[in-house]
Amino acid sequence: MNFKEIVELIEKVAELGVGEVEIEQAGTKLRIQGIPTPPAQVMSQFAVAHPMQQAIAPPAAPVPQLPPKTEEPEEAEAGLHIITSPIVGTFYRSANPESDPFITVGDHVSKGKVLCIIEAMKLMNEIESDIDGEIVKIFPQNGQPVEYGEQLFAVRV
Amino acid sequence: MFSKVLIANRGEIALRIILACKEMGLKTVAVHSEADRDSLHVRYADEDVCIGPAPSRQSYLSISSIIAAAEITGADAIHPGYGFLAENAHFAEIANECRLTFIGPSPEAIRLMGDKAKAREMAKKSGVPILPGSEGPVKTYSDALDVARVIGFPVILKAAAGGGGRGLRICSAEVDLQGAFDTARSEADRAFGSADVYVEKYLERPRHIEIQIFGDHHGRIAALGERECSIQRRHQKLIEESPSPVITEDLRMQMGEAAVKLCKAVNYVNAGTIEFLFQDGQFYFMEMNTRIQVEHPVTEEVTSMDLVKEQIRVASGAHLTAPNGHFRLRGHAMEFRINAEDPVTFAPHPGRIREFHVPGGPGVRVDTAAYRDYVIPPHYDSMIAKLIVRGKDREETLARGRRALDLFIIEGVKTSIPLHRAILDEPRFIRGDISTRFMEEFEW
Repeated sequence: MNFKEIVELIEKVAELGVGEVEIEQAGTKLRIQGIPTPPAQVMSQFAVAHPMQQAIAPPAAPVPQLPPKTEEPEEAEAGLHIITSPIVGTFYRSANPESDPFITVGDHVSKGKVLCIIEAMKLMNEIESDIDGEIVKIFPQNGQPVEYGEQLFAVRV
Repeated sequence: MFSKVLIANRGEIALRIILACKEMGLKTVAVHSEADRDSLHVRYADEDVCIGPAPSRQSYLSISSIIAAAEITGADAIHPGYGFLAENAHFAEIANECRLTFIGPSPEAIRLMGDKAKAREMAKKSGVPILPGSEGPVKTYSDALDVARVIGFPVILKAAAGGGGRGLRICSAEVDLQGAFDTARSEADRAFGSADVYVEKYLERPRHIEIQIFGDHHGRIAALGERECSIQRRHQKLIEESPSPVITEDLRMQMGEAAVKLCKAVNYVNAGTIEFLFQDGQFYFMEMNTRIQVEHPVTEEVTSMDLVKEQIRVASGAHLTAPNGHFRLRGHAMEFRINAEDPVTFAPHPGRIREFHVPGGPGVRVDTAAYRDYVIPPHYDSMIAKLIVRGKDREETLARGRRALDLFIIEGVKTSIPLHRAILDEPRFIRGDISTRFMEEFEW
């Protein structure tokens, strides 16, 4: 299912005033929830985490008083492969403060190339690319804490 | 006092801990798996860190992820809740080594009392009554047979490293002992990584009575009364109450003194529970839980104490607030564990909650992290709420329980609410004539 097909599906759900649609196909699961009246409202958060897995953010919980939480993952262009953090820690662009960053935007990387360090509990974990391609975006700032699943790099394959 | 507490848990207890922290003006960090992104406790905490995918082993049980999360958020204390890493001595050790205060007992106390056989030994040495049984694990079948012959059948074989009702095998007669011994050992090995089992006298109709204790870093340990938890199914508690209908003031004092004596012997600090089996006027040490328990609200309601705040205060070095001397319980309280499961078959029933109306009125408390439209994830336990009712006596408490359950509306998933409601109409339960066999014998 590609991005265009998903948008068409969302528009159809809205148009028909359907309550909820859930589709599972070849490892991809999609749930679209419409609101019957007033006119159907479409989920605005849409995170493309990984080509194998597309997830719609679940509907916001009806708890009015709670303040908005941490920033949602940035929307990414279709066709980009996103590398996410496999661990919790602090993101560094280079091996140490004196060396150059491992990679910059525009670099072509191959699978296995070290892209960054994530430090946790005094251990420097080297994060490798899982794909060949061109680095299009680097999400975190140098020295920024990152959580499991946080977006690190966008790679054009 | 701490400035920022990381809650290494999920669901209602994580929210409970955050509520206590909020009241104390402490900052909170919620760690969560990908499945819990929309949890109430995550939304309410000041900060949140995703620590892994849904499976517990890669998230809530991942020591390195949790410690890393504490590091990047600058937390200075960790509250482990119950379950998960709460009784993991290794986790407590690592937290302490990373200069994070583990809100709970010392790693040594956890290790010692977590070993069921060693805990039994400690109890015996402290003069706390124990069920007749083997001195530590029985290594061979013939050892097991010798012990069983001395204490008399029926006996129960228990995994030394077990707990939570797992790794147990009842044996009614000598002819069954070989089979029971072999199976118990292999089960124990597979479930807990140690084949050690010990043998104990098996009581036919005991009541499960536990004592809440609390120690501080200044050497004081107080007993805060008992909870009766006899209504259990497969060793999972369903209903808990305080005081117990059969525990007299005198028994309360004796059991409290025994519990405190045992805790002093292991220099116990922070919240803990000593579980006893009670039958024919006698109480016997069963095991100790070195953590805050699910049913702690029952004690809170009859003591007017906030046990979670107490945990945080004591961990930061403050003195225990419980008054000296014998603690008197006031009124009566009962807790009903509301699980997302079929009330008849007990099959788990995760899914989306469509309606969620929580009861109110005098003497009603609901501890829950669920809400309307919440999707109960299938990866974790099925408890979605705890309904706690309080009254001036047991009769009023039962009446409050009935009308509160009637107005606890949860739709979209099956829950144990109808089961609790039916139990409250059962004559034996109403009379307080119960034992751990109650659910076996219960009929709709």
